[in-house]
Amino acid sequence: MSEKKILEYDVLVVGGGISGGEAALNLANLNYKVLVVEKDLSLGGKMIALSKVFPTLDCAACITTPKVSEISRHPNITIMFSAEAKKIDKLGDHNFEAHVHQKPRFVNIDDCTACQLCEQACPVSVIDEYQQGLVGRKAAFIPFSIASPRAAAIDIINCTLCGACERVCPTGCIDFTQTDKDYTVKAKAVVLATGFNLFDPVKIPRYGYGKYKNVITSMQMERQLAPTRPFNAILRPGDGKMPDNIAYVLCTGSRDKSVGNPICSQVCCMYSIKQGQLLMGSLPMADVTIYYLHIRAFGKGFNEFYEQARDMGVEFIKGKIGDIKEKENGNLILRYEDVEEGKVKEAEHDMVVLSVGVMSNSEISDSFQGESLRLDDYGFINQDDILASPAETNIDGVFVAGTATGPMDIPDSILSAGAASAETTSYLRRASL
Amino acid sequence: MDVEKGKTAKYRKEKNPVAKEVMENLKYFTKTKKILMDALKEGDKTVPQLSEALSIPADEVLYQLMSLIKFGFAETGDIDDMDEYFYYKIKDNGKDKS
Ligand code: SF4
Ligand code: SF4
Repeated sequence: MSEKKILEYDVLVVGGGISGGEAALNLANLNYKVLVVEKDLSLGGKMIALSKVFPTLDCAACITTPKVSEISRHPNITIMFSAEAKKIDKLGDHNFEAHVHQKPRFVNIDDCTACQLCEQACPVSVIDEYQQGLVGRKAAFIPFSIASPRAAAIDIINCTLCGACERVCPTGCIDFTQTDKDYTVKAKAVVLATGFNLFDPVKIPRYGYGKYKNVITSMQMERQLAPTRPFNAILRPGDGKMPDNIAYVLCTGSRDKSVGNPICSQVCCMYSIKQGQLLMGSLPMADVTIYYLHIRAFGKGFNEFYEQARDMGVEFIKGKIGDIKEKENGNLILRYEDVEEGKVKEAEHDMVVLSVGVMSNSEISDSFQGESLRLDDYGFINQDDILASPAETNIDGVFVAGTATGPMDIPDSILSAGAASAETTSYLRRASL
Repeated sequence: MDVEKGKTAKYRKEKNPVAKEVMENLKYFTKTKKILMDALKEGDKTVPQLSEALSIPADEVLYQLMSLIKFGFAETGDIDDMDEYFYYKIKDNGKDKS
């Protein structure tokens, strides 16, 4: 049975990643009442899962966690997890009505102490999506150790309803009677911070992702490099060997019309260079080779960061990858065109990392009723006047922040969120005139 | 809703039966866990050694073994002479099971 409640806020922020969180925080600090609707079980989006950030090599969690805890504790911010804005209607100026649907977590967050006894008791093991499928997790689980809120959730699809978690829970906060909830949310303005999707390399079968176990994505390597990693060391998933010869394939699904993504993903060059440097630190004897077409080191300190990787011994080959084949021992043969020499060559590596690109996440556009939300040619939310008002969309009162507008790095996402909150504020001020 | 706190799983089970695949997954995990733990009881082993001894693909062994480490049943031991593969063992050599 679903219940429907009417809630009122100044601003509805869709997305609780780093951009949505930043925008919400700025607005809340100006005393606006903000509702953040997050589809996942934690705040922090993709950034909270990263190891370190480029080009400073600061720990990503050390930046993200204080921010997300500030967001969660802010008296002017309400957060709904496992929730989606299913319908957004503009009824008039400064008058939006959204239908928000929330799935049950089966745990009362406020009472959960994150003791993990439910996790220990749960007999079920399923793929841990927060560790990019490299390891298992329980059906009763805390999404990841620095999740915010740090509270358990029950994956009902894989739960056997054995009741073991409930029996051990010291606070009695597990509740299988929870049901879906529907809310009507009234807000004066809307900020869209829905982020991006990563390119799925299965769409390039010649690279063998999904077929060859030692071909992984950059996000899987990111997890392996993080302090809260899935393995005890950097290991190749095919057989647990410590790799000593790792290749990166840049622009996997970026600048490639044949897979429907002709644009540069802005971050793949730099995060691969970062991972190269981190790998040289964790596996000092390993060789790291980066196959690239162009290195786009365009930001502050980026070129120096690239030079630093070269100095550390990361090898850069200007090469176009033809295909990847697997040998019996799990090693991989890369066939590539050496662009500088104009020759087709082969190289053997024991692990290949595909530096996957950034794709739009345009689902939210379907939620708009009446006036439709305009997207750009690549499916990102269109910025109607990119120079004068970068956060404005085609709908007056609906603003956009971060990678929902297009690929960008973390500092740019935070700047973009700043722009979105400033433009939202000025729109809200007009309401009170 | 009038359901006793701490017994809500039972209530839900009466309303929604558990899917067959979910029970099969549980069975598979329980069986694999037992096989891996029994093999480790005989002595520390690497992933290829476990794979060969148990005829389970090495990637599946790694995945399940790393899950067992995460869940507190096994732990990492030394690395082999070639610096290629780690040995894995029962947590605390099976001494502390509490
Ligand atoms: S009821 Fe579900 S979540 Fe709880 S212990 Fe059993 S299988 Fe795990
Ligand atoms: S046992 Fe209860 S209090 Fe402890 S983590 Fe699980 S749900 Fe939270």
